[in-house]
Amino acid sequence: MESTFYLIGIGFVFGTAAWFLFQWAVRSGQFDDPEAPKYRMLDDDDEDPPVKSPKP
Amino acid sequence: MTEAPQTGTVRCEHCMQEVAANSALTAVIDGQRRSFCCHGCLGVYELVHSNSLDSFYTQRCDWKPGRPSFARIDPADFAEQVSSDGQTSRINVVLSGIRCASCVWLVEKVIGRLDGVASARVNYATRRALIEWRPEIVSLDRILQAVSDIGYTPRPGNQAASVEISAGEKRDLLLRFGTAGFFSMQLMLFTTALYAGFFQGMESRYRLAFQLISWALATPVLFYAGFPFMASALRSIKGRALNMDVLVALGSLSAYGYSIARIFTGGEVFFDSAAMIVTFILLGRFIEAGSRLKAGSALVALAELQPGEALLTGDNGEAILVPIERVRNGQLIEVIPGDRVPLDGTVVDGLADVDESMLTGESAPVLKAPGSPVYAGTSSLTGHLRIRVSGDARSTMLSRIVRTVEEAQARKAPIQGIADKTAGLFVPATLLLAAATFAWWMVAKAAPVTAVMNAVSVLVIACPCALGLATPLAILVGTTAVGKKGILVKGGDIFETISKTTTVVLDKTGTLTRGKPSITDCIDYGISGRFIQHCASLEAWSEHPVGKAVAASWKGVRLDVEAFRSIPGLGVSGLIGGEAWYAGSSALLEREGIPIAPECLRQSELLEKEGKTTVFVSCSGRVAGLIGLIDDLRDETLEMIASLRDSGLRLMMLTGDNEGVARYIAAKCGITEVQAGLSPIGKANAIRTLKANGETVMMAGDGINDAPALTEADTGITFGTATGIALESAGVAILNDDLRLIGTLFGHSRKSFSIIRQNLAWAFGYNMVAIPLAVTGILHPIVSALLMASSSLVVVGNSLRLRKY
Repeated sequence: MESTFYLIGIGFVFGTAAWFLFQWAVRSGQFDDPEAPKYRMLDDDDEDPPVKSPKP
Repeated sequence: MTEAPQTGTVRCEHCMQEVAANSALTAVIDGQRRSFCCHGCLGVYELVHSNSLDSFYTQRCDWKPGRPSFARIDPADFAEQVSSDGQTSRINVVLSGIRCASCVWLVEKVIGRLDGVASARVNYATRRALIEWRPEIVSLDRILQAVSDIGYTPRPGNQAASVEISAGEKRDLLLRFGTAGFFSMQLMLFTTALYAGFFQGMESRYRLAFQLISWALATPVLFYAGFPFMASALRSIKGRALNMDVLVALGSLSAYGYSIARIFTGGEVFFDSAAMIVTFILLGRFIEAGSRLKAGSALVALAELQPGEALLTGDNGEAILVPIERVRNGQLIEVIPGDRVPLDGTVVDGLADVDESMLTGESAPVLKAPGSPVYAGTSSLTGHLRIRVSGDARSTMLSRIVRTVEEAQARKAPIQGIADKTAGLFVPATLLLAAATFAWWMVAKAAPVTAVMNAVSVLVIACPCALGLATPLAILVGTTAVGKKGILVKGGDIFETISKTTTVVLDKTGTLTRGKPSITDCIDYGISGRFIQHCASLEAWSEHPVGKAVAASWKGVRLDVEAFRSIPGLGVSGLIGGEAWYAGSSALLEREGIPIAPECLRQSELLEKEGKTTVFVSCSGRVAGLIGLIDDLRDETLEMIASLRDSGLRLMMLTGDNEGVARYIAAKCGITEVQAGLSPIGKANAIRTLKANGETVMMAGDGINDAPALTEADTGITFGTATGIALESAGVAILNDDLRLIGTLFGHSRKSFSIIRQNLAWAFGYNMVAIPLAVTGILHPIVSALLMASSSLVVVGNSLRLRKY
């Protein structure tokens, strides 16, 4: 039955890690725009040679 | 390089608006002939093409045709928004002109490719761009210019701040809710084990360990996630005005404290209830913040329709571009094809098809000719218009609508008021009951611990979360649901009044009927040839709706009219081919001494019996003919009347029109109670009488003459096309002008309130059963904890049903 305590301990580690991940995700703005990502995946993000700057 | 292809219209390559082929610009780009509506679009296309970003055109979807805006930008407005950390500067700007997801891509690419720009991120949901750049390489002016060159207008980020909650605030809420949810879930795991242990038996050291773990998990939920409630509760206690947060804090803290005491005295804990209360209330706030953010950005989008500049016609006839704030009432402005009308006014010169869909929801363009009113934000599709401005930038229909929506959002308070009022009674009552329980057990000579425990369990069981969520959540879901159908409700209190309505009062003209008469009869006595052509030519100059209807009935060539005169309230006169023509009421002909034959009078009486308006036409002193017109019922009127009658409402028609026409229309749509010939004040008085007789009155109308009545009624309903003053007096606006939505509104409002009643019945019922048991100390803690959690779930689930309705 001691294993229960070990499992709880492991669960705690994973849980805390997930919580920190969530904190990081919110703070770095991952949840700020729920609309655009579904479109963004459709863009062909081919890396064109950088153009100096567009002509006005 | 312009040319006129055979087809009537072409689609602009950039903005996808249809333009007449002969006015379109054509350019040959990479050997391909492409058409554009204006130089602006051509410029953007060339710019995008030269940057090899053409996939914008091939990939974009959901793009709503519309011209890009090229407002001048002043970098000084942005200066104070810039934050800097040594090397890089950053700014958050609002972009107008974002129409689709591809715009996001285009803007990001164009800014991102500038030398010195570290990153550019455009948020599609909020239409904001976060730009980071190195000021020593590229200036902000240069970046903003690049955005503006491709037809998007950057604006300082603070402009829309009043309608949006800040991103930081939303993040904070998400963090707290996410944390609460996360720890509550962990907590449930151990709680389930404890429950199972209660029934099956459990080694005491496991039980203690699990209880301690639960304690550890509940603590951050209460004191981190629940911090806003605790702080607000404290403030409200200090201010001696108990609000909902006091109940939340009281409920969760007493459950928490009780459980801690139980760990040491031995017994069941319910940390889960404490955490659950906080989590559910946070969920409610999160949903609300999301819908407020959406409403806020819808408002920004609406306000963006109004252009910032107008082409003002100077005294020398030359047009100059000035900010709309500088245009005065009565000045002349020009609107070129494809442009949005910057200010409300009247057309003085020119003909154009105008797209008014953003105001009326009507997709077909409306033809505007001299004399027609035009509204800011609508766009001229085909022609050049010269407009005499009425009012200023703040008084346009569009800005009034925006203000109305803003007001509607600010009026969330009444709903919160209901909850706070409930709390104001509930908190002291619960406290008293808990104190009484304690006293009772002390008198009964129970151990002090038992007395305290029973008192605290009363506090715990009087779980406020179901009660707190019952009303606001249902109203929120309900108003959002009708909002999606194009019904704007100005506040939760109005939504409530609608469900209590007993009588619906309807205005005739423009509400039951189309508001535009059309010709039904034309009786020609053969005095002059081409009778209707003469009438139409004469009436073409008239401003009166009847005159306009007559003029509209003749599509052919108009005859020249000399010496045109409009006799107010009677009719019009003029010379056609040297003959004096009169068109108007019988009173006009009597005044002019023109004899009317008895046969003619009999015919006009027949027409009037059918609810028609009669126009007498005379030529050279003899009656030449009669024209009968009717303002017919709208297509959906009968359907609406039937649906309102089915829901058991008393219907009544009020009109300023004459008795005969009123009776005819009422009979046609099956309304038995009619009051005709009423002044605007008369209408309001009629409603006051109804209210004095104990009726709850809803009034639907759209004219300036309905405004007093709309204000007097318990609920006023008006339409998106209504005059501004009607819009301001009414509590509900049906934006797409469909009468049937009145029935929908009733359905939703009644459904919402039956759900609120169910919610409250559940929350109170639960308390009624559980509290006496808690007072007597016989309620099992486990049963009460389960009941508590399920009562909140029932309320949330029940309220969300409204979305499917």
